[in-house]
Amino acid sequence: MSVLTSLLAASPGDPTNPGGGLGGATSTVTNTFTAPHVEYRALMPMLVVFGAATVGILIEAFLPRTRRYWPQVGVSLAGVVVAFCFVVANHGMAETTAADAVSVDGVTLFLQGTILLLALLALLLVAERGTGLVDLDAFTAQGATTPGSGGERAADAAGLRTTEVFPLMLFSVGGMLLFPAANDLLTSFVALEVLSLPLYLLCGLARRRRLLSQEAAMKYFLLGAFSSAFFLYGVALLYGYAGSVRLSDIATAITSSPHSDVLVLAGVALLAVGLLFKVGAVPFHAWTPDVYQGAPTPITAFMAAATKVAAFGALLRITYVALPGLRWDWRPVLWGVAILTMLVGAILAITQRDIKRMLAYSAILNAGYILLGVISTTSKGVSSTLFYLAAYGFATIGAFAVVTLVRESVRGGSDSGDGGEEDSVTVGGEATDLSAWAGLGRRSPLLAACFTVFMLAFAGIPLTSGFTGKFALFTAAIDGGAWPLVIVGVIASAAAAFFYVRVIVLMYFSEPLREQGAGPIVVVPSPMTTVALTVTVALTIALGVLPQMALDLADKAAYFVQ
Amino acid sequence: MTTTRALGSTTGVEITFILIGLLTFGAAVLTVTVRNLVHAALWLVVALGGLAGCYLLLAAEFVAWVQVLIYVGAVAVLLLFGLMLTRAPIGRTTELDSGNRWAAAVVGLATAGVLVSVIGDAVRTTWFDPRQAVVNGTAKAVGTSLFRYWVLPFELLSVLLLAALVGAIVLSRRDVSDDVDAAEGTPRAQATEAEA
Amino acid sequence: MSALALIGPLTADATTPTNYENLSFFGRDPWWLILIKVVAVFAFLVVTVLMAILFERKIVGYMQQRIGPNRTGPWGLLQSLADGVKLMLKEDIIPTAADKLVFIIAPLIATIPAFLAIAVVPFGPANNQVSIFHHRTPLQLTDLPVAILYVLAATSIGIYGIVLAGWASGSTYPLLGALRSTAQMISYEIAMSLSFVAVFIYAGTMSTSGIVNSQHSWWNCLPLLPSFLIYVVSMVGETNRAPFDLPEAEGELVGGFHTEYSSIKFALFFLAEYINMVTVSSLAVLMFLGGWHAPFGLVSVWHGANSGWWPVLWYVIKLVLFMLFFFWLRATLPRLRYDQFMKLGWKVLIPASLVWLLAVAVVRTLKNEGDLNRSHLIYILGPVVAVLVVLWIVSELRYRQTSAVEKAEEAATAAKPFDPMDGGFPVPPLPGQTLPAFTPRRPRAALVGALVESAEASELEAGDPDV
Repeated sequence: MSVLTSLLAASPGDPTNPGGGLGGATSTVTNTFTAPHVEYRALMPMLVVFGAATVGILIEAFLPRTRRYWPQVGVSLAGVVVAFCFVVANHGMAETTAADAVSVDGVTLFLQGTILLLALLALLLVAERGTGLVDLDAFTAQGATTPGSGGERAADAAGLRTTEVFPLMLFSVGGMLLFPAANDLLTSFVALEVLSLPLYLLCGLARRRRLLSQEAAMKYFLLGAFSSAFFLYGVALLYGYAGSVRLSDIATAITSSPHSDVLVLAGVALLAVGLLFKVGAVPFHAWTPDVYQGAPTPITAFMAAATKVAAFGALLRITYVALPGLRWDWRPVLWGVAILTMLVGAILAITQRDIKRMLAYSAILNAGYILLGVISTTSKGVSSTLFYLAAYGFATIGAFAVVTLVRESVRGGSDSGDGGEEDSVTVGGEATDLSAWAGLGRRSPLLAACFTVFMLAFAGIPLTSGFTGKFALFTAAIDGGAWPLVIVGVIASAAAAFFYVRVIVLMYFSEPLREQGAGPIVVVPSPMTTVALTVTVALTIALGVLPQMALDLADKAAYFVQ
Repeated sequence: MTTTRALGSTTGVEITFILIGLLTFGAAVLTVTVRNLVHAALWLVVALGGLAGCYLLLAAEFVAWVQVLIYVGAVAVLLLFGLMLTRAPIGRTTELDSGNRWAAAVVGLATAGVLVSVIGDAVRTTWFDPRQAVVNGTAKAVGTSLFRYWVLPFELLSVLLLAALVGAIVLSRRDVSDDVDAAEGTPRAQATEAEA
Repeated sequence: MSALALIGPLTADATTPTNYENLSFFGRDPWWLILIKVVAVFAFLVVTVLMAILFERKIVGYMQQRIGPNRTGPWGLLQSLADGVKLMLKEDIIPTAADKLVFIIAPLIATIPAFLAIAVVPFGPANNQVSIFHHRTPLQLTDLPVAILYVLAATSIGIYGIVLAGWASGSTYPLLGALRSTAQMISYEIAMSLSFVAVFIYAGTMSTSGIVNSQHSWWNCLPLLPSFLIYVVSMVGETNRAPFDLPEAEGELVGGFHTEYSSIKFALFFLAEYINMVTVSSLAVLMFLGGWHAPFGLVSVWHGANSGWWPVLWYVIKLVLFMLFFFWLRATLPRLRYDQFMKLGWKVLIPASLVWLLAVAVVRTLKNEGDLNRSHLIYILGPVVAVLVVLWIVSELRYRQTSAVEKAEEAATAAKPFDPMDGGFPVPPLPGQTLPAFTPRRPRAALVGALVESAEASELEAGDPDV
């Protein structure tokens, strides 16, 4: 008490003490700092998510390890739901805030809503711990133990849980919410790092095949850091060109700057490397299959769906707000990238034997499709991109949710922590090899049906969200004059249909693998995964059968503020 | 600030700047060419310190001292720590010669060329007078612009650091030690005792 | 974060005279005056170090009922000088395994930055200058708007001297000592800097002259008492002094990072350590104890106490008291264990300074906005006290738990009989064990026989070719 009273006692304005003391009233008046105006309502979605993450950290700090799980799940889900409510409440907003660092407009809000819904579903997958009978925790008991060591087994046996994944994931979601909203390149860069760093970590925390997981995390981290450096160099060059990092200032500078175009072109090229890396476009796609395969599957689902939304959001904003004046320069490059992405994605996907790798190449392929929307540079292109991102995101989360449920069975395995006590057959890791999926339709028709829906959606078969989305994208691209791209897209779709349908055929028309008597088994998840799966299937079909409402929403949302 | 004043004429500042720049450049080159990893780290320290000197001459004194404090005082020390606490070769070694070094040199030179030319182009017409720019480099100016114009990215960086902190704990914290089965099965300590 | 958010408004209302704001007192001296000042502060440092070494030995001696050095000069005054000369004349050994260049540079890197900090230490008021050869000048070499950052930066460069000395020696103990020392200095630098931030917020400036000037009515150690306490602990850790002298723990590491050093290079490390003591003591004085300001109440009796050359006296008195505090600590406290020491730094000092910083920042913000009154204190103090109480209860509970475990362990060890050669080494009794009753000495012949026997046995066991 006395300490603080004396703090007050030494307050300024003491007339007997003109020389010393702390600033007099006069200097406060003459030299005030005006704080920037911050429209907190517009930032609420991000603030809520970051707040929830911080609460999660406090839970980690103060609750004993065994009692952290439910509070973490509750806080994370509540945070995402409340943030979504704020996004809905902000509809129709069009303003920039926080010293113009963030612009909240239709595109931002649509993408933020999409990201939050995807994050909600992914959180359900992340929170999956299985029923009492089977432990489906996708995350390692203790990240610090050496794979295969006694410590790992002991940590499993002790029932440790890495509940830190919840705050980490929320941090990433917060970064994703900001990335498409960032109105200057510096904010963009920071948001990119905030969304990436937790993902690098989460990739390395798989419970099974931990070496693969750690390798994936390492690759993702190194390449990601490299691409971030490219992005940052691009920002520096653009700053040198425009004298500002604000997108609208760059747009103005492009039409009026006295500097040579080399600077701005080099800057944009480096910037594009960073962004195209995040969306996984060829030739910056090399990390995708390894990382998608090695990461814990719920994280793969989250990454494949939500990161893509956020990164395409940022790409849209930068190209549409900052670089319309350079349209004739960046469009040809993106044409090439889109063609390469579609072809490489489609062709390499055919050769894959691992379901997660196949889905990874499918993600690359879809990034190519979405680039069509970006290239069209029309409002229709924006709205079709928004719609496709949502449709693709839901289907991806659903597909990876199915992957988490098809497991290897280990006969006579002594793998502790799996809880398969009754027999000598225990549930192992995910059976990601395609051969394990043979005959799935006979043993688990419902699950196979779900997966079929997602495969059909990816292939763009009518009555699924994929068809509507692709139709909208291709129409927009033709409107934008990119019809050759559409032809390539259609060819790639045809090739892609081959490997999507191949999986369906494998599931329904092949004999199940029963060689060593230990074929794959389908586990019964807790309601978490069931809910996620149901919602994604429902949305995938709903967006295919009755897409009009969502298309209208995307149309209405296709506006930017500067 | 005092440095620029003490140097007197503008040309003095320019000459010093060039000398420090050359020192930084030389140290940077040595960083990637010396055969001893610890020496490389030390040359890196010199390069980072040289950069701080450049900042100082450009009247960005706050950034300069922070550069010394953070990069020289913390980052590079941690780098040395990493070298000394792990099995990295801390003596003279040929392992550092990568087979790709010529390719790396070409890429490095090309990058440098692009950067020098485009940045040179960008600031070719800009005249910078350190003495007039002193006010831009003070802690007050940096603080004002940080909290007035860059408040959101700045606060977000704290979020990023928090996430990194949590991540570091996740990756390194052990509630169960790695040699736990050694303790259960054949404890190493007992074995050595038995030998003795 | 919110603490830093204040820098903007703070620099604005730092100190009323504009001169303290833009530091226009400095940088006006002619070159000869600068030279005089440089030589003066250098000499001040060296003489202080010589005296400090002597005082330390004397004081620790008196505290241990000894006399201390008293042979060289009157009252042993020349002892340090003699020691210095002796060190210079000793043979300079460079180990064969050493990395020669780095081995030679390391002591220089440790010593030179240590001298730098004194450049910004104010010995007197900047707006009430003294006259040297008819030239009015402040009693301070120079000042920077970010002077404290400069001091911290110089200190952090000094760390390299230690880490490189340890590495370049090409020997295990120095390397371990160097790593310990560096870890220690980096850890405690964080707590130290955080305690400074409270002062920055309170004073509204980072320049040393401004900070001292702002303590016109209150020395910072009173309103910012927690920061002061944290600083005092962390400065001892920062200088590797007892009870935090783990890097030189002779029982474990021989001499730590300077084990392989001899002659003048060793002397340089010794010099650097004592200069660092002077530096951190100076910082303590100028940040928290009013710097050159005369002690409380003196100004009201004697108006000239803060003018002319008198401030130097106040400053030196405070400095000497602080140095004595260092010596007192060394004579009193036993060395901490390494893990306890790190725990203190990371789990006590840093969180405590963060919480305290938050409180300071809140008070400061309210004050800046001008709506701070006593009733607000409840809102500010309430959460702080609540957090502290919760932390105290938690730590107390944990302590009880662990102490229960320790008691159980103690009981378990007590159950075991005391083995004076446990594990092959002579060991003291563990807690709970008692020494066996004293047995009278055996006849001499029998003892010698037993010794020879055991020596032979150990020789065979170890198989050491040298024995």
